[in-house]
Amino acid sequence: MGSKVKTKMLKKPAKKKKTKIHIDSALCGADGKIDPRDCAKCLKACDPAVFIMHPALDLKFKDKYDPQRWTISPQWGSLCTRCLKCVEVCPENAITVKW
Amino acid sequence: MCKWCFTHGTNGEKWYMNAKNYSDELADEMNLKDYLEEQWLNFEQVYIRKIMGMSSKDLGYKMKMPIIGRVLRKIAENMIHSEKKNRKGIRADGHFGQVIPLEDGKVILSELAAEPIICNYCMCRFMQRGEKEAVCINFGQLSEVIEKLPRFIPKDRAVRIDRETAMKKLEENNKKGYIASVWFQPVPYINAICSCESPECGGFTLRNNFNLDVLYKAEYIIDLDQDKCQGCKSCVSTCQLNALRYIPSMNRVIVDYDKCFGCGVCRHACKHDALKLIPREEYPGYDGTY
Repeated sequence: MGSKVKTKMLKKPAKKKKTKIHIDSALCGADGKIDPRDCAKCLKACDPAVFIMHPALDLKFKDKYDPQRWTISPQWGSLCTRCLKCVEVCPENAITVKW
Repeated sequence: MCKWCFTHGTNGEKWYMNAKNYSDELADEMNLKDYLEEQWLNFEQVYIRKIMGMSSKDLGYKMKMPIIGRVLRKIAENMIHSEKKNRKGIRADGHFGQVIPLEDGKVILSELAAEPIICNYCMCRFMQRGEKEAVCINFGQLSEVIEKLPRFIPKDRAVRIDRETAMKKLEENNKKGYIASVWFQPVPYINAICSCESPECGGFTLRNNFNLDVLYKAEYIIDLDQDKCQGCKSCVSTCQLNALRYIPSMNRVIVDYDKCFGCGVCRHACKHDALKLIPREEYPGYDGTY
């Protein structure tokens, strides 16, 4: 019994898990109801500026970007502090944060 | 003197004080108009575009991976400082800058910058915060490229501005708290002065979080006169890089020299003339920490 406790204590501290931020493209973005350029609430709510707004991929060409269709993606996920302010502020509830 | 001053400056001058780097002849010689057009047509995609099968999404996690991280850092650094002939605008090869104090920015705008000078929206800020603010001042061949792209241009205002207005605009932004920075686009052609903000600017994000040299620290560092400082704390709120801190026991401000970029924005807030910029090599221990 005692030895088990010892080995547990000697173990390295658990690695900080990756924060997985997902934005539902059906609700927000190029194919969704609202244009991110008009909303941009998550961009303003996030203190470390994790999100980035950029043109989405063109429907016809796989390698081209369409400057008329914009989406938001969590670019700097490693900076996320898990405060969940973006989840609160999103009017379409499109953002999920998991870790 | 950073390493770019030795390669692109003249007789002990800073790289951005070399008039040759602003000339149209240099741009024509290297055929940079195609590069700039390609870069600015695809400006918003530079973060998400896959380069060699990797995009910069979640760069922080990728950099922490044991061997891949180190390789990735090397590739990114080579790309940022690239001086090769086959540079691609789509990847923004050879596009980096340095923080400058207001005085140097004024010298550039009044004497060195090539005509025409334009003022356009900052795209970093639009992409990261959704705010359109006309704070970027571009000159030379780049302004001819940007003029044709309506999404960068404010609708209600003349795009081209003269040197006086540009200087006034830069001073206004600097006093508001924005940090002036000068940009190679690509090395060694200089064609932009931006007024950056700390987490939103692409340069500051990459520098502060991932230690990539997209934005170098200025040739200067702040020097606090301890006798003159009255502890009014007004400079603390203007520093965007957390380099200034108020210490109640001594009733004065202390400086974190590792974080100071030498932008000189805090000087505008000081009422007691306690803050001064000195050349970086004069401060002991901080020579060469760009």
